[in-house]
Amino acid sequence: MLDGILIGLSTAVMPVNLMWVVVGCFVGTFIGMLPGLGPISAIALMIPITYGLDPSSGMILMAGVYYGAVFGGSTSSILINAPGCSSTVVTAFDGYPMAQKGQAGKALALAAYSSFTGGTLSAIMLLVAAPALAKVSLSFQSPDYFALMLVGLSAVAAFAGKGQVVKAWMMTILGLMLATVGIDKGIGVERFTFGLTDLMDGFSFLLLAMATFALGETLMGILKPEKDTSAAENSALAEIGSMKITKEEFKELAPVSIRSSILGFFIGVLPGAGATIAAFLSYGLERNIAPKDKREEFGKGSMRGVVAPESANNAASSGSFVPLLTLGIPGSGTTAIMLGALISYGVQPGPRLFIDNPEIFWSVIISMYIGNIVLMVLNLPLIPYISKLLAVPRTVLLPMVIFFSITGVYLVSFNTIDVFIMIAIAIVAIFLRLSNFPLAPLLLGFILGGLMEENLRRSLMISDGELSFLWERPITLTFTAIAIIVLITPILLTLFNKFRTHKMKPSGLEQN
Amino acid sequence: MKLKSESLLCRDRIGGIIFLIFCLTYGYQTTLIPLFPGDEYEAFTARTLPWMLTCAGIFLSLLLIAMAQPDEKSGAVFGFDWRLLISFVLLMIAYGFGLTWLGFVLATSLFLLAGFWVLGERRKSVLFGASFPFVTAFWLLLTKVLDIYLEPGYLFLSL
Repeated sequence: MLDGILIGLSTAVMPVNLMWVVVGCFVGTFIGMLPGLGPISAIALMIPITYGLDPSSGMILMAGVYYGAVFGGSTSSILINAPGCSSTVVTAFDGYPMAQKGQAGKALALAAYSSFTGGTLSAIMLLVAAPALAKVSLSFQSPDYFALMLVGLSAVAAFAGKGQVVKAWMMTILGLMLATVGIDKGIGVERFTFGLTDLMDGFSFLLLAMATFALGETLMGILKPEKDTSAAENSALAEIGSMKITKEEFKELAPVSIRSSILGFFIGVLPGAGATIAAFLSYGLERNIAPKDKREEFGKGSMRGVVAPESANNAASSGSFVPLLTLGIPGSGTTAIMLGALISYGVQPGPRLFIDNPEIFWSVIISMYIGNIVLMVLNLPLIPYISKLLAVPRTVLLPMVIFFSITGVYLVSFNTIDVFIMIAIAIVAIFLRLSNFPLAPLLLGFILGGLMEENLRRSLMISDGELSFLWERPITLTFTAIAIIVLITPILLTLFNKFRTHKMKPSGLEQN
Repeated sequence: MKLKSESLLCRDRIGGIIFLIFCLTYGYQTTLIPLFPGDEYEAFTARTLPWMLTCAGIFLSLLLIAMAQPDEKSGAVFGFDWRLLISFVLLMIAYGFGLTWLGFVLATSLFLLAGFWVLGERRKSVLFGASFPFVTAFWLLLTKVLDIYLEPGYLFLSL
């Protein structure tokens, strides 16, 4: 393991890779600050660039963009109450009131220090957890993988928003269906190609990611023009106040940050849960355990209310790399894109990654830590200058993002058919967004589809067509049971709530 | 329970019906996947997963149709600038054709110029400054620095 860490360290501190971390953090911060564009779009826009790099550098760049986008999202949450991504929504609860009280500088500094603490603690936990889990997962067989993928896919749907569970399942199924297009890898027959040679290789992962997220989100910005926030942001930055944290404040907030980081990491490891849920849970936990006087400050500019979600969402971002790097199963839309990118580089993520490609495995983990340092040391003082870039009007910014999305796909295939397919998918994605269908499960289903079919094929072959492979081994049985529980719970809860409201209605009428 | 016409044809239900039709079409296409002789005795064929997905998709779309929420509750969003979006989609389609016929530099510059204009930008310095010089610089970066070959447009090739 020490050898691997040293290989990873030497890869991560190579000047070119350090440069990619810095570039990633800056670009991510900038894109993350733009309301409407989240980390998934930021990473999708980077994929074509990473194709020209070696896999380690590509992953390092994407990890930097991920962190930067989450950090950038916090900045716009605090300054103008416009979260750049869902995981920083909670930060606005107390960050924005702090900014209104003239403590924007302190809130930004707290967000950066908390992110750093979250990143540091989770990097240490990742350092311990990832190899341990990878070692355990070396004994996994095809049925275990299939069952584990079922857990991952069902969990992503289960953690979807209220009323979205069925829609999230549908999107997962749609993603799996899209993955079946092209020549079947096991038998070699054409499926759903309609005789078109362009569909023989199936849909391109890059095209799908770009169309559903980068292009889709930008077109949504055109369809529903948001207020141009650059002026508000710049005026807010003109009077951000002091960024200093006193000793007393540090003593009070350090335990909050540590608790939230640990909670965030473990939630991040769970497939599907991710940074948003981590931020909400840690905020709720801190509010509940805070002394009475401090509890009343929550929602009105509490420092604990900024520290808790910021530590948790950063730790969860690192945590979500555990299943990606060790099992090859992404837990979120963002890590799903990274998995797709790894597969495109010809690297097979999974338990053997840290044996076969230790330079990728460890350099990503180490570069995460470097990314946190970059964010705190370089990005924080530079926030007023980075946000100057936001002064670029939306009338220029939106066509530019569309240009980069289309060019990103065109420069990989040099085929204009891909541009038209991309536009068509983006239009479908817009209608899905408007009807409140989540798109991350679609991407997850699409990326896992091939692996899932391969493992199902092997499992059914071994068990001679019997589904008993799902419960024959204790480990498979455990995963199958978890998947069933995760699948059934939301339906049972909905039915239970409906039943309860139905039962309570008559009494409510009587009261009226 | 009385069903209002707007809740009967809410977006959830329309979405469910479209998905159901999609799944049925997918299921029909699954029957057209060729099988090798003897495949009927195999535990797993090229049709196995598509069949499973078809069944799951049909079940879920029926579930959504049954459990559909009225638009106000489902989180569906309204109030958009459709004309602007349609203009942009047409612009992107034109850009796709332009890449083939006009080549990268001209097509991209015109796309950006028109895009800025459609979104309401009227300053000439921005309209022309952020399109032609920017795209030329980007083209130089791609062709001279990164050594990526970009084919000239058909129009220029035929000259």
